[in-house]
Amino acid sequence: MMNSSTDFKHWIVDEPHQFKVNRAIYTDEAVFNLEMEHIFEKSWTYVAHESQIKSHGDYVSTRIGRQPVFVIRLGDGSIAAHLNSCSHRGATLMPHESGNAKAIRCRFHGWTFSPNGQCLVVKNEDSGAYPDESFKKHQALTSVARLETYRGFVFASLSGNVPPLKDWLKGSKDWIDCLVDQSPEGLEIVKGASTYTLYGNWKLQAENGVDGYHVSTVHRVFATTIANREGKNPLKDLKQTEAGRITGQVPSGSYDFGNGHMGIWTERSKPQVHPLWIQKERLEKEFSAEKVEWMLYRTRNLFLFPNAFLMDNPSTQIRTMQPISANVCEVTVRCIAPVGESLQARAARLRKFEDFYLTTGMATSDDLAALEAVHEGSRAANSPWNTFARGVKAIQHSGEGELNMSQEPPEVSTANWDHEVIYHGFYRAWKALIQKGQAA
Amino acid sequence: MSSIAEVLAQAQELLYLEAHHLDQKQWTEWVEMYTQDAIFWMPSWINETETTSHPETELNLLYLNGRSHLEDRVYRLQTEDSFASVPSARTVHLVSNIRLIEAHDEHTVLKATWMVHSYGLHGPLTRAGFYDYTLKRVDGALKIAYKKVTLIDDKLIGAVDIFHV
Repeated sequence: MMNSSTDFKHWIVDEPHQFKVNRAIYTDEAVFNLEMEHIFEKSWTYVAHESQIKSHGDYVSTRIGRQPVFVIRLGDGSIAAHLNSCSHRGATLMPHESGNAKAIRCRFHGWTFSPNGQCLVVKNEDSGAYPDESFKKHQALTSVARLETYRGFVFASLSGNVPPLKDWLKGSKDWIDCLVDQSPEGLEIVKGASTYTLYGNWKLQAENGVDGYHVSTVHRVFATTIANREGKNPLKDLKQTEAGRITGQVPSGSYDFGNGHMGIWTERSKPQVHPLWIQKERLEKEFSAEKVEWMLYRTRNLFLFPNAFLMDNPSTQIRTMQPISANVCEVTVRCIAPVGESLQARAARLRKFEDFYLTTGMATSDDLAALEAVHEGSRAANSPWNTFARGVKAIQHSGEGELNMSQEPPEVSTANWDHEVIYHGFYRAWKALIQKGQAA
Repeated sequence: MSSIAEVLAQAQELLYLEAHHLDQKQWTEWVEMYTQDAIFWMPSWINETETTSHPETELNLLYLNGRSHLEDRVYRLQTEDSFASVPSARTVHLVSNIRLIEAHDEHTVLKATWMVHSYGLHGPLTRAGFYDYTLKRVDGALKIAYKKVTLIDDKLIGAVDIFHV
């Protein structure tokens, strides 16, 4: 049981030439409860994309940590998020994953709320013999403490004691911009999604999405399958698939942005097969050469601590995690794409997405199996340590020597995407938030 | 022209044979049941009641347009280099409620329901759904030109490959 900050030495060893975590942090429910209480339920988490809730009353149901929440568009165009729990007896109010409700009526006793959370109707209020006449006024839904958006991405916090979202995101904002700026009209979530249950810890998924090191083994089969496909039946233009990053033939790098946000990038071996390629001229007119290099010629996987990924690799994806317990995490993958792109580009983006990013596809399926194997292996308690040693001697503290758009340099970068030192930043943020919560 | 009963019997035998090839992991025999321009489509769910319906503009769980893409899946399985596929799950397909929707000289449209019980890394799992098939006669042999799989399960457990559905 980890019940005071001094216990951290059993879970993380953070020394100048050694960084390791005890695999029990993946399987211990006591650790999980601390994570939910002090990280997920006290800091910014990604909750929705604005394109999912365009009109008054549009909502999506989700969770922040363990707590059910819905995010809803109000009549004035602003966005609110409330606990998905009736103020009366706690029934969830939104029965659907998404929908539209301009008045939110509880299906249990009929209390009704407005999208801003105000209680409009207490059924049979007149005969209720309530202790005071202003009873209804005090029955509003519990709203999140903070809600802010960054370029269409909606984040919320159940605690008011968080920095402004822009400060929290640090230099990761540049990588978000590289995606959002792919269309003058921004991004949209494409219809359709897939949710899978990872029988493993959420931190394994967090590590995996920015793990360049596994790619040349776990996804070697993807590269050979693509080579086989294109070898026997040459495909043209956007129908081709880029696999250069998998065989390790391209420059790459890794970023610890601070606050637990991490990124890995590679050069694209065939940028002309990316759906964005057909917008090359426009991008070159609108943005600096450095930014175009990041947008068009590099793949980027970005982890936004603690629960979301933005990926621009073979296709473009937002992947979110809902931890259920130490041993179970639900993961939802959605395609996020530039608004107004051509049908040809959209179809190519979707086919590349389906090839790679789904558990029905030919890569995420293998990741899922690998992560479940790691989770199972983590029960071997007599061999407890995961050592993150790759890249220790290659640490740079400013992103120097690389393309750097940011006014806010990363905490750490290395010139190799299969280095593991970005996890040091992830686990330092993880530890700092739990310690902060315990001290409060 | 065959009688309706004969058409249905042939179609039913073909669906059973496909299930047999998948359950016996006879991938080469399986993929040869498809026409060169076959479509194998498994939409994703938009919400609790609607699946995606426009594969070119919406996200699908599988949209394999052309037999060569089915061959990709077979190639991947045969490499034995896929983490998700080694060890492979055992499966049993039950195909039922086969209904003849359209019968023409050159093609047949069918609906059916399915249940696949698998046993693998996650222990016993049962998935179920609907099939929509178009069968075509190519050089006298009946082939699958179109197969749409509607998987009713939404939150997926484990990798779901072409033989799990």
